[in-house]
Amino acid sequence: MKHKDTLRGKVAVIGAGLSPVGRVPGRSPLWLAADAARKALAEAGIDKRAVDGVLSSHAFAAPFHRFSIAFSEYFGIQPTFSNTLQVSGATAATLFAVGAAAVAGGLAETVLVVGGDSLLTGLSPDLALRSMTESRDQQYEMPFGIPVSNTFAMTAHRHMKEFGTTPEQFAEVAVVHRRHAMRTPGAQMTAPITVQDVLGSGMVTSPYHKLDCSLISDGAAAFVITSAERARSLGARKPVYILGAGECYTHEHIFLMPSLTTTGAAVSSRNAYAMSGYGARDMDVAGIYDCFTGTVIMMVEDLGFCPKGEGGRFVADGQITYGGAIPANTHGGLLSFAHSGMPGALFHFHEVIRQLRGECGERQVTGAKLGLVHSLGAGFATNATCILGTEDTL
Amino acid sequence: MITFDEATKKPLPTPDTDSAAFWSGLKEGKLLLQHCLDCGNVQYYQQGMCRRCGGERLEHRAASGRGKVHSYSVVYRAPGPAFKRDVPYAVLLVELEEGPRMISSLVGAKPESVTFDMPVQLVCEKASEEITLPRFRPA
Ligand SMILES: [Zn+2]
Repeated sequence: MKHKDTLRGKVAVIGAGLSPVGRVPGRSPLWLAADAARKALAEAGIDKRAVDGVLSSHAFAAPFHRFSIAFSEYFGIQPTFSNTLQVSGATAATLFAVGAAAVAGGLAETVLVVGGDSLLTGLSPDLALRSMTESRDQQYEMPFGIPVSNTFAMTAHRHMKEFGTTPEQFAEVAVVHRRHAMRTPGAQMTAPITVQDVLGSGMVTSPYHKLDCSLISDGAAAFVITSAERARSLGARKPVYILGAGECYTHEHIFLMPSLTTTGAAVSSRNAYAMSGYGARDMDVAGIYDCFTGTVIMMVEDLGFCPKGEGGRFVADGQITYGGAIPANTHGGLLSFAHSGMPGALFHFHEVIRQLRGECGERQVTGAKLGLVHSLGAGFATNATCILGTEDTL
Repeated sequence: MITFDEATKKPLPTPDTDSAAFWSGLKEGKLLLQHCLDCGNVQYYQQGMCRRCGGERLEHRAASGRGKVHSYSVVYRAPGPAFKRDVPYAVLLVELEEGPRMISSLVGAKPESVTFDMPVQLVCEKASEEITLPRFRPA
């Protein structure tokens, strides 16, 4: 651990809220975000006037330069701490880490973490075209027709070459996620699928087929975080504590990624575990960024759930579902629950927090006390990990 | 705003102060790499200082043009209208003989014929009056 005096256990999540997700026509990213926020505040039992900090991700369908500020105006609050963070898919975990640091450091007392977007129904033709052409570097990547999916595909492809990972193992990830989503109210995709369905769904960018790729969705999530003392004085029901956080940024261009098969997640998770005082084997449940099936296989390795190169076998052996080593993405993840861009990994946080509070009904992982959420983006350029735990784990 | 017409054109790079030499080198058929005279680091892409030591004594030297495919992905669904006519095409992560890696795409062979560690050779392909793109064919 780099620092002795960390934010471990100093900050708690006291409310979580989800907007409708999936196909939600006629609702703007700001409405979705505000809907999730009012639900999170209602659960926390506090009024919006008690919120003095707002942290958000960007929204593609509402391209404000300062989404968190636009959100605050829309929601009718005037916070004294705010920012809009942007590290692509990794943003979700950084919102929790920065929010917790702000609370622990006295910049704010109660921070609303929020993200919402409407990628499925809210993009104008202009924004849809921009989303396709402006995602990678204009000089050294885009002239060769490289979508962001292609950067992830090249890492998975190299993983196949180095470790013998198979398309069937990738497909198994999609099958598990769909099975999880079938038990999640409101999930976008709930029809059962098989490995053969994935392999027959048409190649998008090899080795990824259509069903190896995450969804495009509308939706928002929001959370209320505050100091552990304040959580107690408010009498918060089942607060979930932030025990550790870590980040790692290894490159911007995919050709400068130090290794295609070992990512910055190995470092971000190591730092998060060290801060928390727990390790991978202590985790009861996980939210693992699943923009593509192979991403999950690489992440179970880098997050320490299995040795490097064995992720494919780990998944095929049933280790990322109920009864396995680490039930992951029990809501169905980006592959089957919903993926509304930057807010996507906030859904992983929502699920892990509900698991730790014992509120998942038939999806519940029995006795879950410790959870990990890992979010990542931009061809593994950005990685951020959070460790969460119940009161018992402090 | 971006119009549909603009989106159907292939995105071409706009050279900047860091990269002007690189793009003019390609017009002459040379793939220039930067060699740091202070620490010996060889880097792609072009920038005003060495990524390893911060030194600014950087010399442009033409690469041999030889490399091998470190990884690849064949694109079947185009990223936007500009690449629709090209699918399927193979995007390559080429490891140059001199060490650096770069993104490019395959010419002169079927995209499905690419394999890992396949030897490839630079092809300078004129895309406009100003821009020549570094692409690769099987060696
Ligand atoms: Zn140097």
